[in-house]
Amino acid sequence: MAYANPNITADAVDAQEFMDLSRRYRVTGVPKTIVNETIEIMGGLPEPEFVEAVLQPFDAPRL
Amino acid sequence: MALLSDSDRQTITKHLAPISKQVDLVLFTQTIGGSESGLIAKQVAGEVASLHDKIAVVEKSFVLDIEDRAKYGVEKIPALVVLADGADTRIRFYGANTGYEFVSLIEAVLLAGTGNLELEPETLTALAAVDKPLHIQVFSTPT
Repeated sequence: MAYANPNITADAVDAQEFMDLSRRYRVTGVPKTIVNETIEIMGGLPEPEFVEAVLQPFDAPRL
Repeated sequence: MALLSDSDRQTITKHLAPISKQVDLVLFTQTIGGSESGLIAKQVAGEVASLHDKIAVVEKSFVLDIEDRAKYGVEKIPALVVLADGADTRIRFYGANTGYEFVSLIEAVLLAGTGNLELEPETLTALAAVDKPLHIQVFSTPT
């Protein structure tokens, strides 16, 4: 997705290595995806559902 | 001792064979006071680079290479930034890149080296409409 649009950045983060981030984003299971620090997506989703979830409005309350 | 078995090397080499663009894996670590995962990340990146002559590891110091840190927005280590023909793909890996993340790394390297996006047309249309910064962080574990 990041490759497809210059406005998108994608990070793969080792939840065990970066425990502070895992706590901050309440990562209790993996994979867990955080979008713009506001949207949480639990588990793996089929591509259409994942894209829909990622592209939710960006003005949700910050975590 | 190598992390990849001979069998794995053969399989991944075949998988990465279509690569035609230069892929640079810009690795940020810290020599003094760095974690063991930085050493593993370095070994992983090196073994991946050894599988294709278009893949290279570019080592950066998290402490000394401040301009590069800022350029790529790297705020934690170990960090690996994937470049395609010198251009930032905006794909980053944070951690040792073993386990499931290793599979993602291989796919990112293949994408950078070929430019072949394997996304549905509907997905590409939706992504083309993104006109403001979108930061996706995917948390996983090595096992």
